[in-house]
Amino acid sequence: MKKLVSMFMVLMLCLGVISGMAFAEDVTLTITWAGWAPMDTLVALAEEFTAQTGIKIKGDPVPWPQYHDKVFTEFASGKTSFDIVLPDSQWIGEAVVGNHLLDITDWFNKTVKKEDFYDVFIQSFCEYPDGSAKYYGVPALGDFCGMAYRKDLFDDPKEQEAFKAKYGYDLKVPETYSQLKDIAEFFTRPDKNLYGIALWQAPIPSGGLVDEFLAVFWSFGADLWDPKTGQVKGILNSEKGVKAAQWWLDMYKFCPPGSTNYSMDEANTAMQQGLVAMMATYLAFYPGLVDPNMSMVADKIDFMPTPKEEQWWIQLGGQGMSVSSYSPHKEEALKFMEWWLTPETQWKWAQAGMFSCMKSIVEDDKYLGYAPVNKVARESYPHLRDFWEIPQYNEMGTFMAETLNAAVLGKYTAQEAMDITAEKHEEILKKAGYPLK
Amino acid sequence: MQLATIKKSWMNQISDRSMLYMFLLPTFAFLLFLVVFPLIWSLYLSFCDYSANTANPPIYTGVANYTYIFRQTDVWERFIRTGQFVVEAVIIEFFLGFLIAMLLNREFRGKRLLTTLFILPMMFSPAVIGKFFRFMLDTNWGIVNYILGQLFGIQKIAWTTSYEYALSSIVLTDVWIWTPFMVLLSLAGLSSVPKYLYEAADVDRASAWFKFRYITLPYVAPILTLAALFRTMDAFRFFDVVYVLTEGGPSYTTQIVPFYIYKLAFSYWNTGMSCALAYILLIIIIALSNIYVNYLNSVRRA
Repeated sequence: MKKLVSMFMVLMLCLGVISGMAFAEDVTLTITWAGWAPMDTLVALAEEFTAQTGIKIKGDPVPWPQYHDKVFTEFASGKTSFDIVLPDSQWIGEAVVGNHLLDITDWFNKTVKKEDFYDVFIQSFCEYPDGSAKYYGVPALGDFCGMAYRKDLFDDPKEQEAFKAKYGYDLKVPETYSQLKDIAEFFTRPDKNLYGIALWQAPIPSGGLVDEFLAVFWSFGADLWDPKTGQVKGILNSEKGVKAAQWWLDMYKFCPPGSTNYSMDEANTAMQQGLVAMMATYLAFYPGLVDPNMSMVADKIDFMPTPKEEQWWIQLGGQGMSVSSYSPHKEEALKFMEWWLTPETQWKWAQAGMFSCMKSIVEDDKYLGYAPVNKVARESYPHLRDFWEIPQYNEMGTFMAETLNAAVLGKYTAQEAMDITAEKHEEILKKAGYPLK
Repeated sequence: MQLATIKKSWMNQISDRSMLYMFLLPTFAFLLFLVVFPLIWSLYLSFCDYSANTANPPIYTGVANYTYIFRQTDVWERFIRTGQFVVEAVIIEFFLGFLIAMLLNREFRGKRLLTTLFILPMMFSPAVIGKFFRFMLDTNWGIVNYILGQLFGIQKIAWTTSYEYALSSIVLTDVWIWTPFMVLLSLAGLSSVPKYLYEAADVDRASAWFKFRYITLPYVAPILTLAALFRTMDAFRFFDVVYVLTEGGPSYTTQIVPFYIYKLAFSYWNTGMSCALAYILLIIIIALSNIYVNYLNSVRRA
């Protein structure tokens, strides 16, 4: 009996060693990202990396509404099912403060040529805190908030004549938010089941009201806060801030009824079904808008940047690529990121219709032919801006979204909404340790 | 002689009582690990400033979390909304479920099929049902608005995105899912009433109301009270449908307390505050349960 037990234990030990060796040779990197077209493209492209290195790549897509919570729940558990994550720029503070992302500063300084990329992408996707020269990711998808519009309506001679008669100027791609409002009003025809514009109104911090409101807010000349002191009152609820909020509230009457919960899917559907003449969205969603299998107006859509007012600011979207600090395959993950940053890979990414973060690619005229949105990207990149990238961004963004959403429904005036938001933001920042003079 | 030849093994030396404890040990360990420890740990965390998302340890702050919660007017609004939801949902389910059970509590053709169909909604995942209701109640494309518009000429109603109707749409979905539960328990109660009592009442030419008031009701009251207790406790934990149907909107109108606990815990990572709010909700549920149980005992005594 003793002999049998001993032999059994030796056999188990041998099997353990052999399987360990087999696993050591057979590495699979898991990448988690939102479940959308860029994820599918990345996984498809990664087959080349596998062919070169033997390291397999597995995608773990998560629906956008659950993406943040799913990733951070795993972070909080101290163990992640993924090795590589593509976080929103706003998450970087939250992730770094929790030690969830691998500090790749040394590797970054050796491997990445910062001057090859737009500064805003390095600052938003890679570096935390701003100006610290500490890096936690590399640029991946240079997404941003732009607009889609019905070019058949805009180009219709009868519509053009009627618009000119009413507003005194030509119907064309709006250059200012004031013009955008006129066009939205012009195309709001409830009796014909057509509305001017679909805007994200959902009271959530990511993929909701805040994403689209802030481009308006900044373009009206307003600002969110003083990052050094945490002061918000008098800045966020300044006259310009209230004016921007009023513009936002005024636009709701040109949106489809019941659209106060509109996020990505709902707004995209409104455009695809021909319910609206224009919409604002992150333009990485464009494939669904021009796919005839998904969109009733696929051949009637064109794209434009979000307009300007006093200034011209456009909401940064997109994600960087980072390594989970809990990954057992950090070396392999860095190898993948090194492959990712090669010009060949970046060109293939662009050729697949995805937004590149690389200057040389975006500024090459060939880029314009890869996707109908690329012309908008080139025009928008110099004006990109991001909102808070601090750990408190979620709570601050949620409160702003909920309050403005309530204002859209008439609970508050624009002034009240901005005052309440400024008050709450200072409370959150004070709790976070900002001095607040 | 056979007894003398039984080999001495450690198993034969254990008493029956010890063996009993050994079999119960895994269950106790499971309960301790998954129920008792989290309860005690979360109670401690409710008195701390702590975020599970950071590497910092909990910092004891006394009742700071609790006083902060009680000072926030939006938290009180959420409690009022939660109470409104629980009262509306449970009352409708109670009466509707009992009415359906009364109708089913007789012999007729197709009774089994009809009973199964009534019970079906309870079998589906609440999150899936929430998604279906989201589609059906959509302002522009939902079937509900389409039918109301075609049949009655009613303008589009923003079921899930207006202050007037958002909470009602949550109540409607909850009623659709959980009325079958009330039907089941009511049927169980109704079937426990002895038939001879009805026969005796018929002999005395008692009215339908008399039979219901003095025969049916006393027998089913205990089980109905139990059903109402279960539904009330459950309604206070209602999360999945809210998450899918309205996501707490518009603004935070349908952000009932369980949803807000989720947001505090997993969106803001304010773990200490979420534990404090969870315990406040637990105390409310325990208090209400005690009221129900006292009533149940008094009914049983009667």
